[in-house]
Amino acid sequence: MKSLSELTDFYYKELYPYLEELEKRRNHILSQLKWYGGIGTVFFLIIALWMGKNFGLFHPLMIAVAVGFILIASITYRYMTQDYAKDFKNHIITPLIEAIDSHLLYNPDFMISQYLFERSNLFQHSIDRYSGNDYVKGSIDGVPIEFSDIHAEYQTRDSKGRTQWHTLFRGLFLVAEFNKNFKSKTIILPDLAEKTFGNLIGGWLQSINIARGKVIQLDDPVFEKKFVVYGEDPIEARYILSHSMMMRIVEFQKKISHPLFISFVQNHIHVAIGTGKDLFEPTVFKSLLDYKQAMEYIHTLRNTIGIIEELKLNEKLWSKE
Amino acid sequence: MQIFLIILGIVALVMILMYNSLIGKKNQVDNIFAGVDTVLKKRYDLIPNLVASVERYMEHEKGVLENVTALRAQAMKPNLSDDQKIALDTKLSAALGAITVAIENYPELKANENVMHLQRSLSEIEEQISAARRAYNQAVTDLNNAIEMFPTNLIAGWMNLQRRAVFEITIAERQNVNVHELFNR
Repeated sequence: MKSLSELTDFYYKELYPYLEELEKRRNHILSQLKWYGGIGTVFFLIIALWMGKNFGLFHPLMIAVAVGFILIASITYRYMTQDYAKDFKNHIITPLIEAIDSHLLYNPDFMISQYLFERSNLFQHSIDRYSGNDYVKGSIDGVPIEFSDIHAEYQTRDSKGRTQWHTLFRGLFLVAEFNKNFKSKTIILPDLAEKTFGNLIGGWLQSINIARGKVIQLDDPVFEKKFVVYGEDPIEARYILSHSMMMRIVEFQKKISHPLFISFVQNHIHVAIGTGKDLFEPTVFKSLLDYKQAMEYIHTLRNTIGIIEELKLNEKLWSKE
Repeated sequence: MQIFLIILGIVALVMILMYNSLIGKKNQVDNIFAGVDTVLKKRYDLIPNLVASVERYMEHEKGVLENVTALRAQAMKPNLSDDQKIALDTKLSAALGAITVAIENYPELKANENVMHLQRSLSEIEEQISAARRAYNQAVTDLNNAIEMFPTNLIAGWMNLQRRAVFEITIAERQNVNVHELFNR
């Protein structure tokens, strides 16, 4: 796997011709967007003034008009940036992933199967809408790995029968083979209860979470502070979560600064990083040549694929060979 | 009178809850010790193989090998108490460590496929044993806390529950068996 500086070099040297071309298109789209935005705003103001005179400013129709404008604006934005986004993924992200490791395949429109997402047991709510993109699959150091952006939602109805959508998880979801054999499930979640309610009450709240099963108290205080572990088998959970593994997970959490969910089910590790946004989407309002922007793409990719090295999943134990 | 009955009822309920939680903790310890026992046995099964395959080469370390064999024989005896098993396991871990170190001095052993295979099996079992020990220690700590803390200590005394011993975790173990390093040495 290539280092960060090698990848930065690659981004600015190898991809530069295409980046320049995309950058021109981005500028073009941006000026078009400004133009349409200006016209739209003027139109909106005229209509708003006219309606304000005839119906009053806080008339329900006013809200409908505002919603309509936002809708039209977002559809126009989507439509105008569609091809640009597609080309960005095909000509920038694809070679970048290939440069990281040639054993990786990338498909911008595909995602990790809902089966795997549900198998992880990380989010227990039923899912009513499941979508995603930017799917990567392959192997790093002989360890099978796949990941993609995932957006999982569920639906509720309020007392008036209106449906509401809630996000269950949005972010990066990754599945890789684990280097130890195990039969039971072990689930690691961010420790919200202990953070909010302190050691005593938080610990008690965790232990009465019936849906999750037994809390497993581990012997690494730093890890314990950040995470709560639920598992079916206390011995197997500790077999998976050796002292060094707990340390690596803590280190990894420090790096990503988003909520981290990990589960071990059926000899696989499932990692969910709640970034709350779509990754690998091209910027429209910032330059593609901007160093910070480039580093964000490279960092995200490198860190995600680096999980294998980070958690040392490539260290084969005898029984798994 | 009624108030007295209510208080009596509450006291009885609390006593039952404490009693049950103590029994639950005691059973958890026994349950996990059964798990520890299983992995320890796995290791005992491997030892004769290891000794047989290295003994021809290790003329100078005869004492170490005999020590391991003797400890294994002791550990395999029936009717050992949990504390005795724990003590024997600590000694056996140390003795096996000595063999691992000794193997380093014999290039022909390091090249031996069979020995390396055994070593790897042992180090994996070592990880499982370590996990089982940690689980056991946690269960024992829970039990010991309950036995010593107020108010459960009152009931524990009456139930005649005894504190249990924990496995001592060595510094080497805290660093964990690093298989990768084992091969690249």
